[in-house]
Amino acid sequence: MISNAITLMIAVPLIGAVLCFAAKSQARIVALIASLVPLFISLQMYTGFDKTSKLMQFVESYNWVPSLGVKYTVGVDGIGMPLVLLSTIVSVLVVIYSWGEHDRANQFFALLLLNEVGVLGVFTSLDFFLFYIFWEIVLIPMFFLIGNWGGPRKSYAAIKFFIYTHIASLIMLLAIFGLYFTYRMPDGSRTFDMLTLIQATSDKVLFPPALINLIFAGLLFGFLVKMPAFPFHTWLPDAHVEAPTAGSVLLAALLLKMGGYGIFRVILPMLPNVDKMFVTVIAIIAVLSIVYGAFLALAQKDLKKMVAYSSVSHMGFVTLGAVAFTWLSIQGAMFQQFSHGLITCVLFMSAGTIQHTVGTRIIADLGGLADRMPKFAVLMLAGFMASLGLPGMSGFVAEFTVLAGSYATLPFYTLIVIFFSVAITAAYHLWSMQKVMFGPILPKFLDVHDAHTYEIASMTAFILLIILFGVQPALITDIMGTAAYQVMEPVKTLAQMGVI
Amino acid sequence: MIPVELYILLSSVMFTLGLYGLVTQRNGIKLMMCIELLLNSANINLVAFSANQPNANGQVFALFSIALAAAEAGVGFAILISLYRLYGTIDLDNINALRW
Amino acid sequence: MFSDFAYLIVGLPVLAFVLCLFFGWHLPRGGGFMTVLATFVGLIISWGIYKEMPALPNGILHQSMPWFANFNVGILVDPLAIAMLLMITFVVTLIHTYANAYMDGDPGAARYFAEAALFTASMLGLVYSDNLLQLFIFWELVGLCSYLLIGFWYRKPSAAAAAKKAFLTTRVGDVLFLLGIVLLYNNMVSLNLHLAPGEYLLQFPVIYKYLALIPPTQLTFVALCLLGGAVGKSGQFPLHVWLPDAMEGPTTVSAMIHAATMVTAGVYLVARMFPLFYAAPNALTVVALVGAFTALFAATMGLTTFDIKRVLAFSTVSQLGFMMAGLGVGSVVGAASVGISIFHLIGHSFFKALLFLCAGSVIHAVGTNDMREMGGVGKYMKWTAYTMLIGGASLAGFPLTTGFFSKDEIIVTAYEYGLAQSFIPYLFLVLAAILTAIYTFRLWFVAFTGEPRSDYHKHESPWLMLGPLCILAVFALGFGIVAQGGFYDYVGTNFDHYGVNFAELGVIGGHAIEDAEGVAAEGEHAVAAEGEHGAAAEGKEGGDAGEPWYIQILPIIIALGGILVAALFYYLHKFDPSMITSERDPIRKLLLKGYYQHEIYTQWFAEKVIYGTAIVCNMIDIKIVDGALNWISEVIVAFGGGVRRVQTGVVQNYITAVMLGVVVLVVVIEIALQVGFV
Repeated sequence: MISNAITLMIAVPLIGAVLCFAAKSQARIVALIASLVPLFISLQMYTGFDKTSKLMQFVESYNWVPSLGVKYTVGVDGIGMPLVLLSTIVSVLVVIYSWGEHDRANQFFALLLLNEVGVLGVFTSLDFFLFYIFWEIVLIPMFFLIGNWGGPRKSYAAIKFFIYTHIASLIMLLAIFGLYFTYRMPDGSRTFDMLTLIQATSDKVLFPPALINLIFAGLLFGFLVKMPAFPFHTWLPDAHVEAPTAGSVLLAALLLKMGGYGIFRVILPMLPNVDKMFVTVIAIIAVLSIVYGAFLALAQKDLKKMVAYSSVSHMGFVTLGAVAFTWLSIQGAMFQQFSHGLITCVLFMSAGTIQHTVGTRIIADLGGLADRMPKFAVLMLAGFMASLGLPGMSGFVAEFTVLAGSYATLPFYTLIVIFFSVAITAAYHLWSMQKVMFGPILPKFLDVHDAHTYEIASMTAFILLIILFGVQPALITDIMGTAAYQVMEPVKTLAQMGVI
Repeated sequence: MIPVELYILLSSVMFTLGLYGLVTQRNGIKLMMCIELLLNSANINLVAFSANQPNANGQVFALFSIALAAAEAGVGFAILISLYRLYGTIDLDNINALRW
Repeated sequence: MFSDFAYLIVGLPVLAFVLCLFFGWHLPRGGGFMTVLATFVGLIISWGIYKEMPALPNGILHQSMPWFANFNVGILVDPLAIAMLLMITFVVTLIHTYANAYMDGDPGAARYFAEAALFTASMLGLVYSDNLLQLFIFWELVGLCSYLLIGFWYRKPSAAAAAKKAFLTTRVGDVLFLLGIVLLYNNMVSLNLHLAPGEYLLQFPVIYKYLALIPPTQLTFVALCLLGGAVGKSGQFPLHVWLPDAMEGPTTVSAMIHAATMVTAGVYLVARMFPLFYAAPNALTVVALVGAFTALFAATMGLTTFDIKRVLAFSTVSQLGFMMAGLGVGSVVGAASVGISIFHLIGHSFFKALLFLCAGSVIHAVGTNDMREMGGVGKYMKWTAYTMLIGGASLAGFPLTTGFFSKDEIIVTAYEYGLAQSFIPYLFLVLAAILTAIYTFRLWFVAFTGEPRSDYHKHESPWLMLGPLCILAVFALGFGIVAQGGFYDYVGTNFDHYGVNFAELGVIGGHAIEDAEGVAAEGEHAVAAEGEHGAAAEGKEGGDAGEPWYIQILPIIIALGGILVAALFYYLHKFDPSMITSERDPIRKLLLKGYYQHEIYTQWFAEKVIYGTAIVCNMIDIKIVDGALNWISEVIVAFGGGVRRVQTGVVQNYITAVMLGVVVLVVVIEIALQVGFV
């Protein structure tokens, strides 16, 4: 077993990013190696992970700013581990997908690696200070990816993305300060330790209802914007439409998961301590995200925008499963994070590949591409099927688990979701698939060629993973099961919280 | 020995004149001269106090200040000359390309 | 011995799928022989299991392993499942064999056989799933494969549209099915059962065992939701619209979808969950009404269509209605109705596969689907014509064919149901049966007799296609007479292997009371409820003897009468359809327009309501949600724009301000000193 695995996993892409800047023409090779190493480490961690332990694993802790109580503490448990695995997998495959990028390639690949650093940091930090630093680091590479390699309205999109999510981060930071300045360790010192602070919120004297509700709302806002949930989702379509394909993939597959991770890590353990109204509010937000997102996706004319809204819809399942607060639904929500991370990659890669090869993403302008791009068509169809929740693929397992688990505590909301989202989701996927891929090929596309080998390879890998985790979800859910119990440890059900 | 109050009076008159010019004038060279007046009024104060309390510190600072003023005048006039070359005027009201 | 290889029944077709997908392109006929072989081995294994089953514990084969969270995967082969397995593997082997000739030369043959293999695998997996979730998974995979196969010729816009329609329409049903599973799961959870190791909440044996503990209203909700899924998959009203369009695929696909796989899944689901439907108050009534109405409704549409495959499609919808109704009338005859319904399902799969393959043979030769352009095909395609005649006779319920026995049984049972509860299903079914005979023979007479009405390619199909036709014809003719009694007994007592107590369930479902009132059903229901091996079927036969003679022979009259009417119109040309109706006849127009379903479902519901809602949402998103955001940012920018005017960039202004500030400060400090504040 590698010692200091997590630090190494974060450091290697960081060093790789620096080398990439210097490497000029061979940047992509450097990037591939620098992203393969974390993948290898995370696989090592996965095999060495103790599925039954409720403790943080692979913990490393060093004093950083002792006077402020800031520590460098990293570690993973069942909440973080799958996302670490997801991040390293996606990073490698995105580098492969971008193999043909020649425009300022060294900067491009360096930013991809920097993104991986930030995301891995977020998923492993156990110190709010460190957590916040990584949380903000992620913004920078994404800002430049959108701003430099983006589409026609890239500067609008980049600035909107940056400011919107940054404001949310700042509000979250204020909430963190609220925790930090209220709680003192037994020896009188302050601490940024996440687990300690979250645990402390159950202290009704230290955190009177008014204070804890305010803190909770701040944290929640920070995470919901990142997820993104209705009505804070509007930065997402703009950012996605303008971002380069690799940027979109990272944005949807990893950045959105940071919000969900925050929900599991911070929001759920605090949920029993705050006003019961929050459960209703979050549930309504979740349902609206799912249903409204699905309808929005149906109305889109741009393939990529459709996929972006489908992300809003699918991430709503994470919120719903989380707030339903049953063992099964939390597990499903965690699995949905992982599963959506894989599936959305295929969707954005499909949209990106169509854009690269054909030159447009407007659904009405496309038609019959399957004729000229058979391999790509198969992969895109597989991706779309996964996204609409076809059993045998990971999306179904996640969404079914969320729905089956949520019904016990939030029956009304679950009913709405089942009735209004499942069929609509199928509708927009199939409709766009039919328009883009099937029918007679349009004359202007007669000389279109199939997708590049590296694009096919990357998408194939994703599809295989989706099927693997769809057929054998226990690979991941076994890890999550313990974490789901742990999240619910203070209170077992919503009923005990007096919500329902 | 001239009492120190008179020096202060002189320097404040000079300072006020400089300030008045700074606020009212638009010509770059006049402004530079006004700034020199301000600096020199400060120098007078420094030297006067230095002479009043037997201590050379003030005079040292005055020398610093004169050297700085010279440098500042050099840079300032260089800017004004290049502005004149660019715009054909040194009326600062007309030089507002970077404003807002 | 065979039982240990039960997983291969699904495993081999999956293997064939992978092999065809990746290597089929390099093999003759797209590697179709692998698909045939895989299914055929499945048939052998199924037969082996069938022989071994009596020796197994409880007479059923049950294997299970954990999957994830608290769900499992497993195999459950009981009489109901084995009947389906044998039928599917048998019919599909023949269809695949036929397809080897039919798809020869199609550049996408490898893709066809890969998808067909996956389709077979999904259907087989569906049948022997041991829990509801796994059944749903294969159910959806069947839907996927139907999507792929209906859209096989994806370059044709109509095929792509039909594929989408099939998937979406069944998806609407699947929404309800999913909801049913969620409801059932949560009801089971709330029972706080202490399950033995290896037992899982959604397993069928566990559901049967603890069914009676669930509140009856919840049972009805679950049953109706599951019925929703079945309605979608089995093309029952109102979700039948995808089935006729599904004819866009190759004919072999139609044969598979309509005969052996896919559409039977819905009926199978209701049969599989029959104890739940039985225990749920009013659920079976809904099943009976939906089924009977669909049977009649689809039959009327079958009368007016000229597309040979669409006529068969409507007949499928109609026959599925019979099967559903057969299950629905189970509220008076108990579990025996499962045997009756599944018997019709299996008989139907033989003759419907035969009819579709014959139609495919004709289309293969003639090159069109339109009956009006055929005519006299029988002269040139003797084998096809006679096998199709057998299939048609069976479908129409000609005495002593398979279809006669199975349909007769359903109609008679519906009569008993009528005595006990309501005659509506019986009425609908009888009318539907008459119409069935008419449109079936209309099809045969128009296509195969008379003179050729267009210049088509006149040749018989190759033997690779005729062979399966002949085998199917034998079964369509003889299966009924050979198997009828034993089959009811075998499948009808399926649930006795689990010790399901129908008497107890009937009390929950409220059937026991109705039985006391119903005269004909009383005795036999008690027998069926006892759950003794074979007793149900005997009770059933005893019930038959009690019917008046005219009810007994009515089906014979129906079949012969229908055939006679068709012959008068289309063979002997004694009458002409225009004598009855005119172009302006509203009923005729309604039928030709297919009850305006396209207008209602597609143009109004899908395009106006759903898409309209989406457009409105999009407007809201742009104008209000994002609009509010942009408004906030505009306000902030405008505020900044106002404030920055203060920053003039003119140094003199700053100096003035600084001076004024100093003066104010001096004054303030002076005043403070004077007042003694400092």
